[in-house]
Amino acid sequence: MLVFTIRRIVMMIPVLIGASLLAFVLVSVSGDPVADQVFILEQSTGEPVPQETVDNIKERLYYDRSLPERYWLWLTGIGETNGDIGLLQGEWGPSIEGSAIDVGEEIGSRFWITLRLVLFATVASIAIAILTGVVSAVKQYSKVDYLLTFIGFLALSMPTFWFGLLMKEAAVQTNNAIGSTFFQTYRDSTRGFHGNGWEVFLDAIPYLIIPTIVLMLTGYAAMSRYQRASMLEVLNSDYVRLARAKGVRNGTVMRRHALRTALIPVATFAPLGLATAMGGSLVIERIFGWRGLGAFAYDAITHNDAFAVLGYLFISGVIVLIGILISDLMYGVLDPRIRYE
Amino acid sequence: MDLTVNGTRVEGSPGAGEKGELVLEVDDLNVGFPTDDGMVNAVRGVSYQLRRGQSLGIVGESGSGKSVTSMAVLGLLPKTAQVTGSAKLLGEELLGLGDAALSEVRGKRISMIFQDPLTSLNPVYTVGFQLAEAIRVHYPEVKRAEARERSIDLLDTVGIPNPSQRVDAYPHELSGGMRQRVVIAIAMANNPDVIIADEPTTALDVTVQAQVLEALERAREEVNAALILITHDLGVIAGHTDDVLVMYAGRPVEQGTVDEIFYEPRMPYTLGLIGSMPRMDEERGHRLTPVHGTPPSMLKLPSGCPFRPRCPMSQDICAEVEPDLLPIGSTGHVAACHFADQLEGKRPEDVFAPDSTDPEIEVAVESEAPQEPRSQEDM
Repeated sequence: MLVFTIRRIVMMIPVLIGASLLAFVLVSVSGDPVADQVFILEQSTGEPVPQETVDNIKERLYYDRSLPERYWLWLTGIGETNGDIGLLQGEWGPSIEGSAIDVGEEIGSRFWITLRLVLFATVASIAIAILTGVVSAVKQYSKVDYLLTFIGFLALSMPTFWFGLLMKEAAVQTNNAIGSTFFQTYRDSTRGFHGNGWEVFLDAIPYLIIPTIVLMLTGYAAMSRYQRASMLEVLNSDYVRLARAKGVRNGTVMRRHALRTALIPVATFAPLGLATAMGGSLVIERIFGWRGLGAFAYDAITHNDAFAVLGYLFISGVIVLIGILISDLMYGVLDPRIRYE
Repeated sequence: MDLTVNGTRVEGSPGAGEKGELVLEVDDLNVGFPTDDGMVNAVRGVSYQLRRGQSLGIVGESGSGKSVTSMAVLGLLPKTAQVTGSAKLLGEELLGLGDAALSEVRGKRISMIFQDPLTSLNPVYTVGFQLAEAIRVHYPEVKRAEARERSIDLLDTVGIPNPSQRVDAYPHELSGGMRQRVVIAIAMANNPDVIIADEPTTALDVTVQAQVLEALERAREEVNAALILITHDLGVIAGHTDDVLVMYAGRPVEQGTVDEIFYEPRMPYTLGLIGSMPRMDEERGHRLTPVHGTPPSMLKLPSGCPFRPRCPMSQDICAEVEPDLLPIGSTGHVAACHFADQLEGKRPEDVFAPDSTDPEIEVAVESEAPQEPRSQEDM
């Protein structure tokens, strides 16, 4: 198992490199930050930008190099002495904002804010999906099943941004009605990302509740249907019938024989919910004024900040790969037919 | 192989009675499933008595209600099933008991073996766990180590080699025949009064079938249980049962001892089944006599005798009156046919036309001929 884990982690490296190359090419062809900067300068000064300045911007953003060369620089930083580029050396490349923003530092501090949201939403959606899926399956065609199915499809078909706004409004109304300020609907915490640890977390809880519910709903519905189908299949299986024929009570059969096997497909699928949640956090952080990675990515994309976008893509790539690793390991824990050799 | 704890026999452990004692008595069992298209009467009026040490074969085509009959007795049918009639185990009524009370009976006094060994065992637990579970669910005072010891003994009894290693194997590490033997071991684990085997060999290779049937036979003798063998394989019935119940469209159509059913069938359907079975004692080139057509839809049974549309002997009365099970002689042999008397001494080919429309059979018989004589090694 340990060997398997290490091997999988090592195998992530080429996947990450491939993904980053693809991301790099896509970011490069989707916009030219230099032209953007020149345009902004032109607008603010009202006169043509001298060629010298354009060249300076190009040089600063490494857009004077060819694409392969720029990628190589971004990845390794070898052959450059500026010290602001090269992922392997811990430098994420220059932002268009100049020295005001250090991409690496921004990602480092914002990461924890987004992780809080994504992790809570994923775990909560998995838990609720399993619970509702199993209840739906056990009580198939009952009123509970129909109700849960209805809620599931509702959640599945509601756009995140709209549901987010609804929830925000509902939270404000609730606060007004009961005269409290418990449900916070703006910002991620009072402390921002300065400071760390338990205190920040406690401080962040009131801010976390509503966004977590919104983000949770995007992942929960599909997974719940999946769990229902998987549980139904197991409930109709021969081994569940044999377990009952052995004299095992219904409740024990459900727990020990049905649920355990019905969890296998969902467990492998669930950690990938991390990826969905990462995507969802972009919208949610925007709605709730969070200062996490999602908002960072949103700003970076709208400002055509190439290296910042790349930094975000790289980090979310790592998170997705970790999700896949967890799901692979879960498979082995739950299903003895999978052997790590 | 009594179930013992610390050397003393567990109080109330079943399987202890006298040979010949009446263990299971099913009377006028009816099972219906409500569907959107109406009620499906899957079982209509099945009755039988089972004595200790006796084995009863239930034969019939797919969908004739063989399995439903036995699952109804154990309460393993879906909740929507409507079961009426009576099923008494040693005088105690089983139908209508709740899950808790039935769980006491299942696996302890009546155990069941299902058709497909590849899916009968839970893939995520070892066979040892699943065997020990069967014991400990009824005898929680049995310690894990003891249950494991007994599991190994049971695996040994059903003929699994290296039982002390196999006990830790997962189902996917065993072959189909081995898995079915594990299921048989589970069925005999608590010395039940009755073992119901629902097509135990259907999913298995022919060469493995014999081994599994032998294991089943040994299990039955070992625990002194009565056996219900559900199958559509008449060869299995002939070799392993005392009595036979033939079912058609959810109804028993003939019942009697193996000899009566095989040598003096009094219902055309039984005769048809026998005629469609290849036999070693017939001369080469002997034609099988198939029963043409398919069983009727259980939603829309034909009027009168359900076998009428396929029966070459059918007359007007068959469409009007469904025949009752009437005694033939005084031995307990019963058959449901208006013309049971006319079937006396008839051979299948006298009633059903041999299948001569299929030219492939002709070819097959001729192409096989030059291979004779076969040497012993080929077999």
